[in-house]
Amino acid sequence: MSTMSPTTTGAGPGLRAMAGIEARRFARHPLFLLGAAATIVVTGLLQANDHDHVPADLLAWTVVPAFFCGLTSLVVAARLTRSTETAGEALLTAPGSEARRTLAVVLACSVPLAVGVLWMAEVLVITAVWPPASMEWWFGTMSGVQVVAILVAGGPVACLGGALLGVLTGRWLRFPGAPAVVLLVVVVVVMVGHAPTETAHPELRLWLPWISWQSGSDTDGTATLYKGNAVLALLYQLCLCAMAALGALWHDRESRTRGLVVGFVGVVVAAVAFLGLSMTTGTQDNRVSPVNPAQADH
Amino acid sequence: MSLVDLLGVSKSYGGTRALDDVTLTFDRGVTGLLGPNGAGKTTLLRIVATSIAADRGSTRILGHDPTASHGEVVEARRGLGYLPQELGFPHDMTVFGFVEYVAVLKEWNQAAARSREVHRVLDLVGLGDLAAKRVRKLSGGQRRRVGLAQALVGNPQVLVLDEPTTGLDPAQRATLRRTLSTIASESAVLLSTHQTEDVAALCERVVVLAEGHVRFDGSVVDLVRTAEGRVWLSDEPAETGVAAWRTGTGRHRVVGGPRPPGAESVEPSLEDAYLLMLDGRVPAPDAVT
Repeated sequence: MSTMSPTTTGAGPGLRAMAGIEARRFARHPLFLLGAAATIVVTGLLQANDHDHVPADLLAWTVVPAFFCGLTSLVVAARLTRSTETAGEALLTAPGSEARRTLAVVLACSVPLAVGVLWMAEVLVITAVWPPASMEWWFGTMSGVQVVAILVAGGPVACLGGALLGVLTGRWLRFPGAPAVVLLVVVVVVMVGHAPTETAHPELRLWLPWISWQSGSDTDGTATLYKGNAVLALLYQLCLCAMAALGALWHDRESRTRGLVVGFVGVVVAAVAFLGLSMTTGTQDNRVSPVNPAQADH
Repeated sequence: MSLVDLLGVSKSYGGTRALDDVTLTFDRGVTGLLGPNGAGKTTLLRIVATSIAADRGSTRILGHDPTASHGEVVEARRGLGYLPQELGFPHDMTVFGFVEYVAVLKEWNQAAARSREVHRVLDLVGLGDLAAKRVRKLSGGQRRRVGLAQALVGNPQVLVLDEPTTGLDPAQRATLRRTLSTIASESAVLLSTHQTEDVAALCERVVVLAEGHVRFDGSVVDLVRTAEGRVWLSDEPAETGVAAWRTGTGRHRVVGGPRPPGAESVEPSLEDAYLLMLDGRVPAPDAVT
């Protein structure tokens, strides 16, 4: 009689154990560590380099975690997802399914999410120590819920979303360099997709996976807050994250259950609804801040 | 019911028939699969390992039909261990990390028990001291042993090994033989190899495949017996045998064909019998298990 594992029967491979292994691999990956470190350091430098240490253009700082952590996590997650496939049939013939292995990597994306949360904490600590200027788009000059939504969407969710897009890429795209190609496409799409911000319909940027809400200080010392509902846009972006995860699970034919189909359709419907509402509610026009003399002529 | 039952199994890849109406059963013990490249050995092992399904015929692994449903496949896989012919490793994983990952997939969900099991199988293959080393830094033979270790997790009832001795030096092959001898008392071990000496040393039973068909299925002794009286040692090279080569003593070993002038008959080896079997000039005996 063969030795049976202690947690037979029908229990399936422990998702928690698998996710723990994948999370450790994620956290130790050199590229991820580089991105995480850059996220924290660059944010600190943004504050340190300001000549009067009064933080400015805070809502534009969300590009830092999205770029350094979100994009590197895309590549890392794709590599982790594909890496175990090199073991090929040895893993395919184990009781654990591909979907469960995918789900483990999805759960491991909580590692870049944690870096995003850490970044948020850094920003809040910075502003607690060095309060921003009174005319800055921040707490007090706009809804606190909107401020939090912008920070969450641009920071932790961007980090998470980049990683989940990497899992999706790793499952579906098999050609060499696929993660790098997807990364470039994302960057180009986001840059080009922000073209409407200075037009009559800035809300048209809200479909993008990462959204800019503040222009940064213009030469005259003002800053523009772009139109839209940041809370609903955040919900839309969370739906995009869910779609990436479900799309990665869909790759395993045996996991294509009715539940998965219903879930995916539901998330898509919710995403469309949130997108529409984010475009039509919240701030109805671009709003320009009062002049900040400290930022003029920069 | 046997541990593995294959009844009339056939498998084709495009226009190539890899297995043709193969009927075999496997129980506890070690069975060697011999055959030239393209004989169907790997296809047969992949079917038993549930990596692929046969096109025709019936397959039962540990009483489960892997083609019946996803649940049946999972139940079959719970008792399987598989070392494929080609095995890659994640770039960043250590020896322990990789085997542990497989252990999790094999439902070793409790960390302490899983760690003990991983250490057990690594010690079994002689890699206990290299557990913390990254797999990419190991030699080819060491990587093969990592592959064997992951197949041994959980003491599977059916152990499928596709060319397990590739890259192993003689001492390592001897260790492998000892390991498999222990396991075979409780499990069905199917291994394919090009090394007839491994089959001779390790297997009680041998199946010879050629062009997708079973040419021989029986004991190693019976296969060797088919070559009796057909192997000679000669002072001169001979062109008429199935195979002939110069030995280390300077004499020429001739397998098959008419007796060369002045040659003396010698005890055949498994390799001699295998060569004669593939040549086909000696009719294969009835397949007897």
